[in-house]
Amino acid sequence: MNNDHSAHHSTQPVDPNAPVLRPHVYDGIQEYDQKLPNWWLFTFYFAIAWFVLYWFLYYNLGKFQTDHDRVTSQIDAINQVKAWELEAMLAKLDDKVLWEWSRNPQIADQGAATYQKLCVACHAPDLSATLAGAKLPGLPLNDAEWKYGAKPMDLFKMVQKGSPDKTQAVQMPPWEQVLSASDIAKVVAFVLSHHTEPATADPPKVSSN
Amino acid sequence: MNANAVKTTIVFDDRTVRHFTIASMIWGFVGILVGLIAATQLSFWQMNGRFLQTITGGLIQSEGLDFLTFGRLRPLHTNAAIFAFVGNMMFAGVYYSTQRLCKVRLASDLLSAIHFWGWQLIIVAAAVTLPAGLTRGKEYAELIWPINIAVALIWVVFAINFFWTLKKRNEPSLYVALWFYIATIVTVAMLYIVNHLSLPTSLTHSYPIFGGVQDALVQWWYGHNAVAFFLTNPILGIMYYFMPKAAGRPVYSYRLSIIHFWSLVFIYIWAGPHHLLNTSLPRWLQMLGMLFSLMLWAPSWGGMLNGLLTLRGAWDKLRTDPVIKFFVAAITFYGMSTFEGPLLSIRAVNALSHYTDWTIGHVHAGTLGWNGFMAAGMFYWLVPVLWGTRLRSIPAANMHFWIGTVGILLYVASMWASGITQGLMLNQLNAEGTLPKYEFAETLERIKPLMITRTVGGGLYLIGYVIMLWNLFATIRAGKPVTDSREVYVEPKKHDSMPWKEVFLNDPILYTVLGIFFCCLWFFLPSYANVGALAGGIALTIKGVARFKATHQSWSFWYEKLLENFLPFTVLTFIAVAIGGLLQIIPTVIVNRGDRIEGRIQKLYTPLELCGRDIYVSEGCYNCHSQMIRQMVPDVLRYGTGRRDDYSHLGESIYDHPFQWGSKRTGPDLAREGSKRDYTWQVIHLRNPRDMDRNSTMPNYPWLFDKKADIDALPAKIAAQRTLGVPYKPMTADVIKDKARAQAIEISAVLKGQGQLVPPDREIIALVAYLKALGSWEEKLPAADKSDDRPSLTPGNPDNHRPVAAIPAPAN
Repeated sequence: MNNDHSAHHSTQPVDPNAPVLRPHVYDGIQEYDQKLPNWWLFTFYFAIAWFVLYWFLYYNLGKFQTDHDRVTSQIDAINQVKAWELEAMLAKLDDKVLWEWSRNPQIADQGAATYQKLCVACHAPDLSATLAGAKLPGLPLNDAEWKYGAKPMDLFKMVQKGSPDKTQAVQMPPWEQVLSASDIAKVVAFVLSHHTEPATADPPKVSSN
Repeated sequence: MNANAVKTTIVFDDRTVRHFTIASMIWGFVGILVGLIAATQLSFWQMNGRFLQTITGGLIQSEGLDFLTFGRLRPLHTNAAIFAFVGNMMFAGVYYSTQRLCKVRLASDLLSAIHFWGWQLIIVAAAVTLPAGLTRGKEYAELIWPINIAVALIWVVFAINFFWTLKKRNEPSLYVALWFYIATIVTVAMLYIVNHLSLPTSLTHSYPIFGGVQDALVQWWYGHNAVAFFLTNPILGIMYYFMPKAAGRPVYSYRLSIIHFWSLVFIYIWAGPHHLLNTSLPRWLQMLGMLFSLMLWAPSWGGMLNGLLTLRGAWDKLRTDPVIKFFVAAITFYGMSTFEGPLLSIRAVNALSHYTDWTIGHVHAGTLGWNGFMAAGMFYWLVPVLWGTRLRSIPAANMHFWIGTVGILLYVASMWASGITQGLMLNQLNAEGTLPKYEFAETLERIKPLMITRTVGGGLYLIGYVIMLWNLFATIRAGKPVTDSREVYVEPKKHDSMPWKEVFLNDPILYTVLGIFFCCLWFFLPSYANVGALAGGIALTIKGVARFKATHQSWSFWYEKLLENFLPFTVLTFIAVAIGGLLQIIPTVIVNRGDRIEGRIQKLYTPLELCGRDIYVSEGCYNCHSQMIRQMVPDVLRYGTGRRDDYSHLGESIYDHPFQWGSKRTGPDLAREGSKRDYTWQVIHLRNPRDMDRNSTMPNYPWLFDKKADIDALPAKIAAQRTLGVPYKPMTADVIKDKARAQAIEISAVLKGQGQLVPPDREIIALVAYLKALGSWEEKLPAADKSDDRPSLTPGNPDNHRPVAAIPAPAN
């Protein structure tokens, strides 16, 4: 029926294949009534079909893992690797090895890089836990006092797990979420490189507070 | 011509159009300028106020100024760009074209004036309150409740003025531009009102009535569709009027208009959850958000095709006419962003792109490209017409076009690069695959050059805009306001008489409604019944297609009749836009929140922590920090505390009014901040973040150390929270205040022990109390029926009747 009206418009070409011009004029604006482009229609149909298929696969056939299952299984696998790494590292490490590492400039430098990235905020670049006279949240690492144990392996555990006393208002955070076992060993070696190995095998002095 | 036609003269109300046009031009400048300042802050933290000390040679002593920080400027930028710039531009375009398409003057000069001046007052109020830190803490919905009421009222004034004009129209049939205007008005009203429902605690503060996941869902239903129905729909209507006008060519395809209009308004509303992909939003909502977004691609491109192909036969004008140049570039950017949008809505892509600059780049391709250039094209066409003269300078308009285009491309390309770089770095694990490879701050260093390129792009865009302002104001000065009148023949009124039965009882409506109904049964029915519903739906679709093939002429006839009846058209549009929101929001809101916590329940904030949370919201921390560990390994490893399932669970934020999941990580996620850092670290960091991390771009917050925390407001706030269902025990005002003070004194003492002297009554104490409480939850086992392996038999949450074992209890 639209074609009947096209005769009213003198500008309309006589070509029968020309697009249909709708009769109505809105404030001088006219509209063709072109067919929808096929590629456009297929895009639309494909998206709708994809909706049906995907929903069907997930909700009706139970395909694909839930997010919970996917994340926890991957984290479990990661934790296994981490536990294995830690075990391997601990088998290799003791106080003596860490003291040796602290004298190895290559290892201490790698530890220093980690220290400068993560530890300086609380312990200061010079390990003094003060910056321009102001006290930082951490404890000084360049004095002889070790609040939670002075043995290298105590330090390793401290970096790994954080402050043992979780009720304290100020705490060292655990770093095992950020650093691998070997990173931790290296950063401990770096700290030890500022100290000397005690000559005797006396039990380390633990501060009373 | 009907013999009964009466000759009438219409005098159009173009004064209102001129007002809105000038307002849009001016507010656009403000909005872009504020955006540019905010952009510089992301590469140079000194831009948060410290720079004043440098450039005044120390005359102004400031480590940072509260009203200049990114957290407060960014809401000002987005609100100015959306509501002031595009809002006024939209009103100008709608009022100009509607009068002509309806062959009638705007219904009421008084309403037009109230609309104009009311809207400008709202903008001024927003420009004062947002930098002052008065905010609701929800994106694009930051304005405080008294302004919300004003916005709703002025919107109703606009609606009355518009629909009254339709009622008085002398042109029976509604042109496609008007369809889009109708959809805009009804949908924005619905979205705005629902997302702004709040409970006031004072004249300037309120809590949203929704909390946690409910608030997240409502927010992004609104936030996404603010883009859809404020930045897209009305501008498409404007395109449908001004593009054929400027090109002098008929619109490409009427039937494409029909298909793309109805599919666009129906589908758009469902897509909101794509802003919450991989979060703790229930999976079925994420699936709907993703899949509807993919279906949105074709309808969006329908608009692009109708715009671009209207130019067939007039492409030569692209070389000579700046108006066409701007329109074509704008529509091209529209096509680009509406392809990118569905792409970013795919969960796997979103895992990389979300929380990064990619999203910001995507939005700006739309706003700078589509909105900004559509506005420019419309202004260049409209201003000479409204002031009865020629454009002052076509070369200047061309220069604006090229500078602006280069600006957008620089902006968008650098944001793509920045977003992808940062997303890849943050998601990358070390060689053993056990730990995140990069620290957050390392990514900031890497993207800094891209942030600067982005600022350059934005700067170019602003230069182009200023050239336009000069050009248009010079045009206005050269001309004089024109009173446009027209003689028309008005035939006796036969339109607006469709019986409601005819509106609803017909094939197109019945097949559509039944189709959607079967679709919903498929979503929500339990196992097996849902497959039956799907089969029914497919059979119905086949039947419907066959029916359409046989009787499509009656479908066309019905639609043409509908076009002559504005009220039925409006009602059907409203139904189309209401369905998606209803089906997504109602199931989430009616569920007792205690039932959907995924085994974890948030610990209530103490009064002081609540006070600190309001400071967090007020400073706009959510503009840069998320509180949502997504269900992705890199997120869990980086932000979790080591548990195997330590992504954010629904119950952890269930009492948060408003939710603070965030949408962008300019800084790291804070969901577990409380268990990671202590008071001292936070205090030093807030005073000067560079002391803790030299790559930090966060502003200094010196005023938190001076301003006193508003403890006196707490009783009213806790009373409001109780009304909203947060299970605080009844406490007298004195008990609340004493508790807050006691905790503040305690924190102050701890800080003193660490050498940080901060009086207990300061805002900083309340804020660090809140930060310390982030991520506090208790385990709460799900209700007994949840551990049942059998699929549920009642309709409801699709995730509960998926044919796999129920979610295993967290083991750790």
